[in-house]
Amino acid sequence: MSKQDGSTRQVSAAAADDGRAHILHVDMDAFYASVELLTRPELRGLPVIVGHPGQRSVVTAATYEARKYGVNSAMPMSIALRRCPNAIVLEPHFDRYSHYSKIVMDLCRDLTPLVEPLSIDEAFLDVAGARRLLGSPFEIATLLRARVLASTGLTCSVGVAATKFVAKLASSRAKPDGLLFVPLEGTLAFLHPLPISALWGVGAKTEERLSRLGLRTVGDVAQTPLAALQKMLGVAAGQKLHDLAWARDPRAVTVEREEKSIGHESTFEYDVTDPAVIRRELLRMSDKSAVRLRRAGLEGRTVSLKLRYGDFSTITRSKTLAEPTDLGRRIYEEVVGLYEALDSADARIRLIGVRVEQLAPTGGAGLSLWQTDEDWRDAEQAMDAVTARFGAGLVRPATLVASPTAQSSASRRLKQSSPAPRDAEDLTDL
Amino acid sequence: MKFQVNRDVFSEAVSFAVKLLPQRTTLPILSGVLIETTASGLTLSSFDYEVSAQTEIAAEVEEQGRILVSGRLLAEIASRLPAAPVKFATEESRITVSCGSAQFTLLSMPVEEYPTLPQISASSGFLPAEAFANAVAQVAVAASRDDVTPVITGVQLEVSKTSLSLVATDRYRVAVREIEWEGADSITDTLTALVPARTLTEIGKTFGHSGSISVAITSTDERELIAFQAEKRTVTSLLIKGNFPPVKRLFPETVDNYAVINTAELIEATRRVSLVLEREAALRFTFSIDGLTLEAIGSEQAQASETIDAFLTGGDTVVSLKPQFLLDGLGAVHSEFVRISFTKTENPNKPGPVLITSQSSKDQAGADNYKYLLQPNLLLR
Repeated sequence: MSKQDGSTRQVSAAAADDGRAHILHVDMDAFYASVELLTRPELRGLPVIVGHPGQRSVVTAATYEARKYGVNSAMPMSIALRRCPNAIVLEPHFDRYSHYSKIVMDLCRDLTPLVEPLSIDEAFLDVAGARRLLGSPFEIATLLRARVLASTGLTCSVGVAATKFVAKLASSRAKPDGLLFVPLEGTLAFLHPLPISALWGVGAKTEERLSRLGLRTVGDVAQTPLAALQKMLGVAAGQKLHDLAWARDPRAVTVEREEKSIGHESTFEYDVTDPAVIRRELLRMSDKSAVRLRRAGLEGRTVSLKLRYGDFSTITRSKTLAEPTDLGRRIYEEVVGLYEALDSADARIRLIGVRVEQLAPTGGAGLSLWQTDEDWRDAEQAMDAVTARFGAGLVRPATLVASPTAQSSASRRLKQSSPAPRDAEDLTDL
Repeated sequence: MKFQVNRDVFSEAVSFAVKLLPQRTTLPILSGVLIETTASGLTLSSFDYEVSAQTEIAAEVEEQGRILVSGRLLAEIASRLPAAPVKFATEESRITVSCGSAQFTLLSMPVEEYPTLPQISASSGFLPAEAFANAVAQVAVAASRDDVTPVITGVQLEVSKTSLSLVATDRYRVAVREIEWEGADSITDTLTALVPARTLTEIGKTFGHSGSISVAITSTDERELIAFQAEKRTVTSLLIKGNFPPVKRLFPETVDNYAVINTAELIEATRRVSLVLEREAALRFTFSIDGLTLEAIGSEQAQASETIDAFLTGGDTVVSLKPQFLLDGLGAVHSEFVRISFTKTENPNKPGPVLITSQSSKDQAGADNYKYLLQPNLLLR
């Protein structure tokens, strides 16, 4: 898509809005970085990177000033700092991000019940039903942007269009702090000049294949016969691309979004070979995943382990359980089983991840006559209760309580004083 | 090799040998049936490293030999042969089968690569065949079909001096039955064997009319297996490794709250009322002095209810049961009436299991000792 530094920004003024384009895509501007700047206003206008300062860390977010230097999220910190040596690096505060995310989502829900959060800082809104009360979609978008700024001090960009796909494109063109309205009849005029990479599902590989045929813009794809696209990309993918190129996107804004999986990953500061360290990390991530499962009232039937070795080769192994679980202990035992089965005792491990899949509401599988994990369930529910009352981190498995010896051996490998290496907690799972 | 054999005898022997072979094998050679001549006839064998079957039949042998033929093909041919003696003759790798006016030419599989069937140790004891076949059918229904947990895909056999108990569970229900056992003198300890439920079910069907079955449980360093032998037929199966969960202790000692119902009526009513249920949903059973009311609720599209006679002892009770789980138990009691007992529980989040036992009349408990324990779901509303 466009370079994300705002250089291709496009916004609209008040427009001939007849209300037929009623899908809004709201996207916070450099969300994590902007939240950090709320507490460090003196850094406004400077290149700021959010992420752990360690060598092996990656960029979690960057301000537009930093993006101008070519810094992007998910880029290794070392490269980011090479590109922008005078950037200021701030530690992330995930609790603050979810706090502000909730405020923004609530502001959206004040406008319409049809809010589909895509991630912590993005949502689709369908405002078709709110017109009589609040005005045209353009006016509603203007109102939302004003309310977000007034309530949080953060800016967002909003795309307004007839379909989700075009609305999302519009918001990305409007960034930062902009509003782009694409009226129904102007949709193709907006869409067709865009590069093909703007189409959902077009990654580097597809883009290369299409451009080999001389297709460069969305309009080129639209003018290509469907049969030719399908021959090249397969029946389903060809059809999808062709539809998108003609702005046909029948997906409605849906409020309920089932999480497909819950998981955590962490990268070690230095490659780890010590199985005890790996195991401890697996326990920590299993517990975290289980806490999130229980909080969401879900249990999962498949547990998977991801390992990235020192040479960046990555493997995942998964196991389906006899009965779904939401217990950290069960998840831990299964992932350790998967880890041991790999026999990578001497391998240098860079990243490990734990994931629980095939989620369903707790108790849906029917009651069984006996449960192997009954005692653990009591223990973990007690931990939940302590957390609910006194906050997180007070009660932990003994192996995760930093003892002086464990601390020193761990801190040689793990970069932080707190037990966590860099974590990636995913909130978007679709 | 050259022999002649009675068509019916041969056809039955082939179908026995083939029955336990899996539909697909990883090694093509394991889909074969091994035919070997003996002094007085033939042996037919099959083996896939898990399960083996072997039978001896009479035949007129003209020339000794040993061949391996595709099992399924041979079984189909044998079942459709005309009523006439069956003649086998081999010429190099070709086998000619002729019977009346029909003639087949089959290719022999490489017999020298066929594995040796497992050795069977001395008999551990004897079982009455019919009771065993019944017990297997009653119990195996509760075994898990989910390979994720191999130990509960088996039926646990536990031998004591004079009885053999069969136990199976899939976590949601447990079925238990005890039958007579005549132990060999050499056996002093209690023996246990965990046999794959699918295999045991076939064994039950195969030996149902054999009078008395000899059972041998063998454990060597490499593997543990069980062998069943009767009337010149032998079936062996590898045992499932692992510890069967101690489910017998889940059964209550005594229950004073129970209902007795006509089995056929309850089966019919359950089938009828569950027609409107969504898949995996449970039926609500309300037992009171006025009878048993079955209700299918929860679906928006349709609802159903029915009340049948029930003789209740103790207080009124409501339970929520998956219809298929109940039907499996009702189908296994083999008695005109059935007793459903309600056990107590201390856990407020989990209703006590119900126990299903046979009942020969409304006042008389059944003669067998079959027990089927079923965990109800949580009551919604």
